[in-house]
Amino acid sequence: MKKLYSNKPVIFSLVLPGILVFLFAVLAPICLSVYYGFTDYTGMGEAHLVGFENYANLVHDSAFGRSLRNSLLLAVGFICIQHPLAILVAAVLDKLQGKAEGVFRCIYFIPNVISVAVIAYLWKFIYNPDFGLLNNIAKAFGHPGKINWLSQQNAIWSVLIVLIWHGFGWGMLIYYTGIKNIDPVLYEAASIDGADWWTTFFRITLPLMKPVIQINVTMAVISALKQMETVYLLTNGGPNNSTQFAANYLYQQAFKAFKYGYGNAIGVVFIIICVLATVALNHIFRDKQEQREK
Amino acid sequence: MKKKMLATLLTAAMTASVLTGCGGSAQESASNAANDEAPAKTQTADAEENETPAESADEAVTLKLFSNLPDRKNGQGLVEQMIIDEYMAANPNVSIEVEALDEEAYKTKFKAYAMDGMPDLVSIWGQPSFLDEVLDAGVLAELNEDDYAEYGFIPGSLDGFKKDEKLYGLPRNTDIMLFYYNQKMFDDNGWKVPATTDELLSLCGDIQAAGITPVAMDGGDGWPMACFLTDIMVKVAGIEYADIVSNAVATGDFTAPEIKQATQILVNFADAGMFQVGYDSQDYGTTMNLFTNGQAAMYCMGSWDASMALNEDIAPEIRDNIRAFTMPVVDGGKGGANDIAAWNGGGYAVSANSAVKDEAIKFLNYMYQPDKLSKYGWENGVGMSAQDQTAYLTGNETELQKQIMEILKNATSVSGTPINDCGPSAFKTAIESEIQGVSNGSTPVEDFLAAIGAACK
Repeated sequence: MKKLYSNKPVIFSLVLPGILVFLFAVLAPICLSVYYGFTDYTGMGEAHLVGFENYANLVHDSAFGRSLRNSLLLAVGFICIQHPLAILVAAVLDKLQGKAEGVFRCIYFIPNVISVAVIAYLWKFIYNPDFGLLNNIAKAFGHPGKINWLSQQNAIWSVLIVLIWHGFGWGMLIYYTGIKNIDPVLYEAASIDGADWWTTFFRITLPLMKPVIQINVTMAVISALKQMETVYLLTNGGPNNSTQFAANYLYQQAFKAFKYGYGNAIGVVFIIICVLATVALNHIFRDKQEQREK
Repeated sequence: MKKKMLATLLTAAMTASVLTGCGGSAQESASNAANDEAPAKTQTADAEENETPAESADEAVTLKLFSNLPDRKNGQGLVEQMIIDEYMAANPNVSIEVEALDEEAYKTKFKAYAMDGMPDLVSIWGQPSFLDEVLDAGVLAELNEDDYAEYGFIPGSLDGFKKDEKLYGLPRNTDIMLFYYNQKMFDDNGWKVPATTDELLSLCGDIQAAGITPVAMDGGDGWPMACFLTDIMVKVAGIEYADIVSNAVATGDFTAPEIKQATQILVNFADAGMFQVGYDSQDYGTTMNLFTNGQAAMYCMGSWDASMALNEDIAPEIRDNIRAFTMPVVDGGKGGANDIAAWNGGGYAVSANSAVKDEAIKFLNYMYQPDKLSKYGWENGVGMSAQDQTAYLTGNETELQKQIMEILKNATSVSGTPINDCGPSAFKTAIESEIQGVSNGSTPVEDFLAAIGAACK
């Protein structure tokens, strides 16, 4: 078998499909994006090179700045609200045992099974000032008038709630799997030593979950940067770009404003930010791991 | 030896799988090549058809129609489908495949098609924000204007579909911006149709006091509110509207006092609570439902929604009481009661690269025969056509239809293209987003005007 894996034609034939997919489905589009980012291409007709004009405009584009701020806000929301809650719920589920464990695991994961379109329209109805669930609840508690949950001031928070709620089940399931992989002997030993639930959680569960947390947090940050579908269907970045996210803004500029070149420039900056975020997160987690090893 | 054999087998399997993939591609290429040849053949056939129609009458032709009318059972979508069905019945060899998406999705996919092969017949808008880039890209076929001399098009209605005096599309409607209102609700509460914007504000106060939303406004999409701004501007600037907007778009300077005043009136309207709570994030359907469910007394939209009066999904007590009026005059404004915001927007065009271009133009001409789009549109209450409809008045028109007809008949001037469609698509995108901010008070009027000006540069 060892000889087989050192056979060059075999290695080549096994690697080739992957390389081809990478070249034509990833690298070529990125190269084309870089090229079109330097043009004034409208998506139709001819493209003319305009140098760094698109990138210079991007620096002064307040809507793009707001979309990056919103992505950052969402990433913070994921890391500070969604994930701590997901770890806690996963740890509680692990202790529940029996039927309840399976039932609650399913309930928490249901939003992830539902299509994004359904989720977006469901929340659109929930937020509706005239017949929405939230305003009816507020009315039942005596609140006069109608609350505009998707106003320019409130919309970003309303969108963040939906996104954090929607992604919660997925994060929780990964943490839950991580917790299940922790050796039960450690918990038994802690129990014999008289450790309570919180001590066990902070001294055993959390430290052993660090690799899982690293993956989950990295995925959360990338997902915050990539956010598109829910926002597109829920608010389409409005009112007046208050819930704009980079991917949605890219789409609007490229396909609605006929600024395909500008859209590609956004795409290139977007890729750079995603790569930098991933490298930075890996660096943060690696440093900690290395420090521990030292 | 076994390992060598295994290695050889694995390599062979992998090579075979790669080759199979290539084989598929080769087959596809062959098939594509065959398809590429097909258009040439069809064109030849079409040429022959002109000479000897009987010879190729049975040759199967498939026309692809890309439409912005996804509702095929009501309104304009129904009219379009009726004509398609009639054409296919009259020409059994022709099959018409329809792909219909709503407006925003349509425009996005239109662009994707423009990059990589358009369907044979497409919906278009005769407005600079849509058509300029499309015509520059050369994706639409030129039409012979002389062919339409007898089609009864309203004078000037073809202008938006021309470039360098060449015609590239035909208009479907004459669109008028309207306030639809529930007459029964008005009568029951003693409310009167306002004659001035001050009266309109006062009326909205009365309606609010009765616990009803005064005007249902689709602010989430941006464009209806831009059409509304156009309506106000027409009352402020009168017949100078088009020149003022055209000059502003050309220079990127929107500080003209008329534009500023009209924007301020819009802000005052929104500030006074004229629109429903959350109007700036609500979509078309939700907004229309507010009116058709009786939760709003008025609904601001174009004449294309006049088919509400025939829509059986709407309760009869509302459906039968829908009436319309135009924007009231502004005190001190140059526009009179009969200077209206109206334009010839949507229409159809044929793809320049259509493999069955002759058949597509034949079908386009069939649609525009005066007794087709125009007549069926009128009978189904979908508003005013861009062609003369007087021959099709039956006397059974809804009150709403009669009102809209009167409005157009009495018009002393029409605005032409609404403000958001007067500039490049970057300007359209900017104004439709920024208008949400200025109307809800988040953006000062001056900043709004500067932002839309910047989008023109």
